[in-house]
Amino acid sequence: MLLENSYYKIIGRSGEGLDAVFRVALLPDCEVYKGHFPGNPVSPGVCNIETIKECAMLLTGKRLVIDTIRQCRLTAVASPSVCPEVEVTLSCSPVGKGFAVTAKIADNERTYMEYKGEMTVITA
Amino acid sequence: MMEIVDVTKLVPQRAPILMVDRLTDATDDVAVTGFVVKADNYFLDDDGLLAEVGLIEHIAQSASAFAGYKALLAGASEPPVGYIGEIKKFHCYRRPAPGEELNTTITMGAEVAGVTIIKGETRVKGETVADTQMKIFIK
Repeated sequence: MLLENSYYKIIGRSGEGLDAVFRVALLPDCEVYKGHFPGNPVSPGVCNIETIKECAMLLTGKRLVIDTIRQCRLTAVASPSVCPEVEVTLSCSPVGKGFAVTAKIADNERTYMEYKGEMTVITA
Repeated sequence: MMEIVDVTKLVPQRAPILMVDRLTDATDDVAVTGFVVKADNYFLDDDGLLAEVGLIEHIAQSASAFAGYKALLAGASEPPVGYIGEIKKFHCYRRPAPGEELNTTITMGAEVAGVTIIKGETRVKGETVADTQMKIFIK
């Protein structure tokens, strides 16, 4: 995993089958904030997408690559101070050589990301 | 095209997440960037290849470099900060390996109420490895 335990840490999980909610802490000491941006830590949208992908790998038990993002809306600026803990709500359904993945990242205050796309299983 | 030696004049991102090396061409609405994937890239996955999100960030920063170039021409002293508002129709065809150079063509649409729609296509030696559309907010 590229970002687990450096950018985020999973602190809880619920759900059944291929639907789950992961409770995730955004780690303020992650080195990515040195550059994004200097003196103004903002969680990179792409790191939140990678967090969704890694949760999907945990949920499906497969190594996945993002084949297609149909639509990903970044609806609010996230950072470890704005949202130290968020919920990643995830639904995967088998399709072709992988999974269709629908996900949302939110806390009680707002939604940060809405995501729809396909991920392919790596067999190597 | 005005020659820009230092890409940090064009984008606000810094190490470890600086994902563009240079702007190699720019017209009114099309620009080309270059970026070599190094062995210590932040987005290298467990198998050593550049993760898909590394490609997305590179395309976003390529658009940001283009916007920064335009701002510089218009007299700005600091690069503008851009945020991704939406990613649509992103396809990853292949994940590049360290040592490979990404060349990305950015086509920028009109700005409406602070939102600019861009298209990005990333090639390695002519082979398309990723393409996408994005909405970008530039502040």
